[in-house]
Amino acid sequence: MAAVSLVFSAAQSRAFEPPPDPTRWVTDNAGLLSNAARATLDAHLEAYERQTGHQIVVWIDRTTGDVPIEDFAVRAFEKWGVGRKGRDDGLVLFIFSEDRRARIEVGYDLEDRVPDAAASRVIREVLAPRLQAGDADGGVSAAVDALLAAIGEESGSVPERAPQFGLGQIILFALIGLAFLVLLVTNPSLALYLLFSILSGGRGGGGFSGGGGFSGGGGFSGGGGRSGGGGASGSW
Amino acid sequence: MKKLGAFGAFGCVAIIVGVALVVGLALGLMVMGTYNSLVSLDQTVEAQWAQVENVYQRRADLVPNLVETVKGAAAFEKETFTAVTEARSRVGQISGEALEGVMRDPEAFARFEQAQGALSSALNRLMVVMEQYPDLKATANFRDLQAQLEGTENRITVERMRFNETARAFNTKRMSFPTVVIAGFFGERFREKPYFKAQEGADTAPLVKF
Repeated sequence: MAAVSLVFSAAQSRAFEPPPDPTRWVTDNAGLLSNAARATLDAHLEAYERQTGHQIVVWIDRTTGDVPIEDFAVRAFEKWGVGRKGRDDGLVLFIFSEDRRARIEVGYDLEDRVPDAAASRVIREVLAPRLQAGDADGGVSAAVDALLAAIGEESGSVPERAPQFGLGQIILFALIGLAFLVLLVTNPSLALYLLFSILSGGRGGGGFSGGGGFSGGGGFSGGGGRSGGGGASGSW
Repeated sequence: MKKLGAFGAFGCVAIIVGVALVVGLALGLMVMGTYNSLVSLDQTVEAQWAQVENVYQRRADLVPNLVETVKGAAAFEKETFTAVTEARSRVGQISGEALEGVMRDPEAFARFEQAQGALSSALNRLMVVMEQYPDLKATANFRDLQAQLEGTENRITVERMRFNETARAFNTKRMSFPTVVIAGFFGERFREKPYFKAQEGADTAPLVKF
């Protein structure tokens, strides 16, 4: 069974374009979860990222189409960049309601903590039975809890959020400020235009890349983490 | 007239030397830039090759455990076990050779791929055969091993695909003009990279007759 999907994935991988980056930690395009459950889980994962730095994402949709779920998962993970760059400590739980297939795709760095067998067990023993019984809310949140428990919190190195300026940055800012003053004298309108566009751009930007989940900034934003096909798939 | 000619000749030489210097410098910079970008692409391919080796090694490490687990439950499937063990040991022999060299030598690369493909087929056959043993299939141990094997096969697909992508990036750069000329100066240093083919052995293996 795995072999058949492998062959397909080799053939399909060229044409397939993964969906756009999620804006929240939990995305439900299939209406599988209740609004309350989705919001709770989303807030939970947002807080979890702020606490531990790990980006854990849930992606629910109807179907992957012709694309094997393994292929879909690795491509989407790559495009979204779940987890921190260089640390690759992200994880995505994919659920496709019409395909009745789920996959846990594990970032390189979490492979030791969520080995394939553990990921498989979460799908087999926690997620699948509850989805089968029609309890999507309970199943998904129990699966996420099980995954978070497996990852643990001991690596809880809180990511550097507060900007800390070194001497180099202070000099850089001083130079930029100086350049701006010169521009203000020589071409005031351009200077004001630049100032305005920088300020408005900064305010609207929201998501903070390089870790995502900036507390004031709103949505989820991938940090550039990678996965290598680790994890497990399952059906219900 | 003669003086002017001498001066003219001197001027000419100066100009020619100047132009030659500038052209030489420009060429030197171009060669340097091209060389450096080829080196960096080459490093990417090397790193990805290491990744491919890793995941294949991971699978090879898994095999003894797998065979040990299923042996007890299905002792009379001797042929299947032997096939797996033999394919595993052939992979081991290939890995015994200097693996870094495999990517540089197309023949060694083909041998490597062939041996790994044979192991893929043997493992696939083993898993298909195991499907006939419901008691075995129900054990948590077997299911964990199955998940590990599937995960490992998936990793292999992913890293092979990424290897092909990096190799393609290198080859495209290497074969395009004027890089192809410059790469030629360095001979074997920037040899074209081989690609993994679609896993042919893997798709025929599950069609086992019962």
